[in-house]
Amino acid sequence: MSQRPHETDQELLARLRNGDEQAFVALYRRRQGAIYRFALHMGGSASLAEDITQEVFLTLLRNEWGFDPERGTLSGYLFGIARKLVLRHLERSRPDVALEPDFEEGGLPEPAANQDPLEELTHRESLDALRRAVVTLPRRYREVVVLCDLEEVDYADAAAALGCPIGTVRSRLHRARALLLDKLTQERGPRHGVQRLKPLRCEI
Amino acid sequence: MNCQEFWDARPEPDNAEGRQHLLECDECARRMSRQQRLEAGLGALRQEWRTVEAPPRVEQGVVAAFRSQQAHSRSRSLRHAWVPLFTWATAAACLVALALLLVRPHEPPAAHHINRSGGIELAAVQPAASAATADDDESSSDGFLPLPDAQRIAPGESVNVVRVEVPRSAMLVVGLPVNPERVSELVEADVMLGSDGLARAVRFVQ
Repeated sequence: MSQRPHETDQELLARLRNGDEQAFVALYRRRQGAIYRFALHMGGSASLAEDITQEVFLTLLRNEWGFDPERGTLSGYLFGIARKLVLRHLERSRPDVALEPDFEEGGLPEPAANQDPLEELTHRESLDALRRAVVTLPRRYREVVVLCDLEEVDYADAAAALGCPIGTVRSRLHRARALLLDKLTQERGPRHGVQRLKPLRCEI
Repeated sequence: MNCQEFWDARPEPDNAEGRQHLLECDECARRMSRQQRLEAGLGALRQEWRTVEAPPRVEQGVVAAFRSQQAHSRSRSLRHAWVPLFTWATAAACLVALALLLVRPHEPPAAHHINRSGGIELAAVQPAASAATADDDESSSDGFLPLPDAQRIAPGESVNVVRVEVPRSAMLVVGLPVNPERVSELVEADVMLGSDGLARAVRFVQ
């Protein structure tokens, strides 16, 4: 049986529960990208993101955490599983610290003439700076930016995935964006100064 | 709307009141401009990442797991289908065993093996049997009464006789009179079993 056009997640899930492999594949292909990117942004590792994506869909197969359509969409449910798996991994491997990007390796863009880090934010280098700023956000702000801004998950689904009220999602997103602006500003400011004040070595 | 109210409403879409505040407040307008450029940058990042997906091996892994699960559940459901059948078979076997126990509690020391052609072979106290045969209509000379709906003894068929205790009410089965006041009392009876093990005739000892 093939995938019918405009088939909803719920319909695919119902077919999946009846053992329809095509429905499972269709559901996987529809949702895997967002789950993988979320795990990649949150965990900072491609191999971890692969493992988490796989585990999310295996959990769906096993129906371990009991998806309830009354409580949210399947998308929010899958993000919720992915988030729990990421957190479990982060707790096992290290304390909750933001990922530290390798500033030296990637190099920072040359400061713009007007010193506004947002001036050309759509440029390649500036996008890299923004990506680094996102992954260095504290976890609870990072996850809301990844969900709402990068994956365009609506607030209700994000709230379901994060297990918090919608108001909390909004306030965290607001705070996260302010933090991003601060980071982008700080990233250019001090580094620009450092470049101008190169350390000198005294030779006796 | 003051500055606090304006930013409290963010990041919801702007409304007329919010736009009016931006016209009146330079600081909020500047801050809003930075926010909008940040959102544009996040949008560009989103577009850039949109093509990033899990590698094909992840799909292969989950599909393999799906197939494995399906095969497992099929075999499990097949096993489950046998459970009721096995249960009924066990129950039937138990009933048969129970019936045999009830029929044979007072079996004499030796069963009397009667051969229609040779008479009693093992019986020490029984007279020669000429039990209910195909040509007997009611009772035979040795007192055996054919059971209703039971097959007649074929000439030359080997039969066994066992002695049992049965409620006196069992006499009603073969049409013998029973005192209603003694209906629950036990009486001894000889049951003639055919070569297939089924009861063919009965003889009440007392």
